[in-house]
Amino acid sequence: MFFNSLAFAIFLPIVFFLYWFVFNKTKSSQNALLIVASYYFYSCWDWRFLFLLVFSTFLDYYTGIRIEKSTNDKGRKFWFWLSIIINLGFLGIFKYYNFFSTSFAQMLTTVGFKASPILLDVVLPVGISFYTFHGLSYVIDIYFKRIKAEYNFVDYSLFVSYFPLLVAGPIERATHLLPEVKVKRTFDFNQAKEGVCQIIWGLVKKVVIADTCATYANAIFDNYSSMNSLSLILGGIYFAFQIYGDFSGYSDMALGMSKLFGLELLRNFNYPYFSRDIAEFWRRWHISLSSWFRDYLYIPLGGSKGSKAMQVRNVFIIFVVSGFWHGANWTYLAWGFLNAVYFLPLLLLNRNRSNIDEIKLNWNWDSVRTISSIVMTFCLSTIAWVFFRAKTITDACTYLKRIVVNREFTSQYLVNERYNYEILLMIGLFVLVEWNNRTRVEPISGKYNTVKLALAITAIIAFGTYSDYKEFIYFQF
Amino acid sequence: MKKFLLFTLKTLIFTIVIAVALDFIYTAIYLQSSNRGKVDHVYNSKKENFDVVILGSSRANNHFVAQMFEDKGLKTFNYGMSGGHLFEADLLLKLMLERHYKIKNVILEADLNLSNKRRDYGISSKFLPYLHQSETVKKHFSNEDDFLEMYYIPFYRYIKFDERIGFREFYNTTLKKSTNVLNHQGYYPLINRKGNMKNNIVNLKPLLHNQYYEEIKQICKDNNINFIAVMTPMCENTKGIEYFNKVQKLYPEIHNYENVVVEDKYFSSCGHLNDTGARLFTARILKDFFSK
Repeated sequence: MFFNSLAFAIFLPIVFFLYWFVFNKTKSSQNALLIVASYYFYSCWDWRFLFLLVFSTFLDYYTGIRIEKSTNDKGRKFWFWLSIIINLGFLGIFKYYNFFSTSFAQMLTTVGFKASPILLDVVLPVGISFYTFHGLSYVIDIYFKRIKAEYNFVDYSLFVSYFPLLVAGPIERATHLLPEVKVKRTFDFNQAKEGVCQIIWGLVKKVVIADTCATYANAIFDNYSSMNSLSLILGGIYFAFQIYGDFSGYSDMALGMSKLFGLELLRNFNYPYFSRDIAEFWRRWHISLSSWFRDYLYIPLGGSKGSKAMQVRNVFIIFVVSGFWHGANWTYLAWGFLNAVYFLPLLLLNRNRSNIDEIKLNWNWDSVRTISSIVMTFCLSTIAWVFFRAKTITDACTYLKRIVVNREFTSQYLVNERYNYEILLMIGLFVLVEWNNRTRVEPISGKYNTVKLALAITAIIAFGTYSDYKEFIYFQF
Repeated sequence: MKKFLLFTLKTLIFTIVIAVALDFIYTAIYLQSSNRGKVDHVYNSKKENFDVVILGSSRANNHFVAQMFEDKGLKTFNYGMSGGHLFEADLLLKLMLERHYKIKNVILEADLNLSNKRRDYGISSKFLPYLHQSETVKKHFSNEDDFLEMYYIPFYRYIKFDERIGFREFYNTTLKKSTNVLNHQGYYPLINRKGNMKNNIVNLKPLLHNQYYEEIKQICKDNNINFIAVMTPMCENTKGIEYFNKVQKLYPEIHNYENVVVEDKYFSSCGHLNDTGARLFTARILKDFFSK
């Protein structure tokens, strides 16, 4: 059941109605309804993995309490590590086992041994990377005494399984979401209206921008060996907007529908393609994951303290692990590594926090420099996206090499019977809308709300891509 | 909450009004079009006289050189549509007759397409703009699973088949951009080799009574049109080539021309002749059926 499916369009109003009209008496009844709805939502993907979700929830709930109740350090450590090992164990088995097994066999073959990998015939449970990280952050926070353990199982389950964020985030923190689910929600018209606007804007991003760009990006990436330089450059740009529209569109829908239930989730995207350097890009892209790695990996490793060598090591670790989090493939590792390389000069020159102020443009040279920095950062991230999108590292390198050596910058007719440049105007318009609303969560609310709402609905109906349906990219992670 | 429900209602009404308006605009534009494809060409045409009309899939579209018929003094048009099934061929013929076309001969490519009676989603969508305007189109689609939503939900058909009749096609139609589909009297010559010279049709089984084939045959009979059904060539390296014998057994009236052109040099892909092959094949058809 996708957010942009007919089934979900029926599911959401039913849950909304029951939530505010039938189960609105207490916060327990509200939470209980959301839990049932979330488990139903998850079982629509594959009911068998519901047991894994419930087990994971119970494990972290129980170990959290045991950590808090342990009177000695040994007990605390035992329950802490038990939770970490089991959580990461599940993730390892379902997501990474086959990758390691294949890579190990390939390595043995390279050094002269004949080895065939033993592979597991398992499907990756949808959302496992997201709900595992929810649980991990909760247990780690209790262990380091940042939060108290949650004793109400329903409240805790809702924190882990809440359906808008269950399958593709944002990755919530117990410190943020748990206090919200512990109080009865009352209906707020403005919040709900903003929610509807954010859902609609998320839909624009998904069906108009992401899915349309995907049609072109796929035609170019899947046939890159016959594409000219211009098509390859455009292919990179289209994929950059595909993945942005897809994932930030999903996040907008998740945040929007949460507002309908009176809950505010963490913001996950803040116009990342207007970043002036890679450090700023990572403060604006998939914010919940970046901050998760910052708080639970980078800082415990020493963060930006210690020698420069240590700092460089930490940066590479966090980016490579972040890449690996996305999927068990060398291309994701390369993508993470490349971003670390981009980050390195900023770190060495102590300029990784130089662009934290709001972007303002005037008619002066500073603004020209700002625009150049934004364009440069976009180019760098697009090059990295080529690794993210390509099937193998060799494919990505050949793709990039061909941009340089082909040197043909003409229009090209693609296998999807469209010209390579056709959607540039649409992307340009989208960038313009985002730029003019970069200080706001979404562009529909506020002044001229009715007109903007009508335009957004028209865009979804008339310009959306529906027949060539594409799943949300981040569901596979 | 009341305020929010009103807001939601307003949004829903907006959506419906926009969908109705878009449906009206798109349909109005498509009703003016006659140079984008064979369907709109027929739909927006007036009475025509043809000695020969060719129907079928790409194996008709790429195999019958209409000009060779014309050279013999036979007014001909190749209405074969790449990807089309018999569902679409049948409907196209019905539309021609609705427009009082006078047709002496119909050549129907009937071979691989006898194995199913489904519509081709891509090609059949080209008829959908006329769903509310043409009783023939409406009736033809009325037994389809998605008929009700396509007919009653405004703009739904343009969303569902956006690749074929969505914004891009609407835009090109508005600009009256023509395509090459109607060139060469509808025949589309294949020049370069595009595919593998092998095919596997082992799993294909011809249906005993293909509803649309039977309908085409009956329409021709009712309108005194000479009906010529033919099987067209496949490359030699086809697994399950006995399919054509099964067709012959089930439909003895279909002429088997599967093996009249065999050498790979005459094929663009295993199921499609190149231009040279198509000329050889057409010459044989002309000799056998139109030599007098």
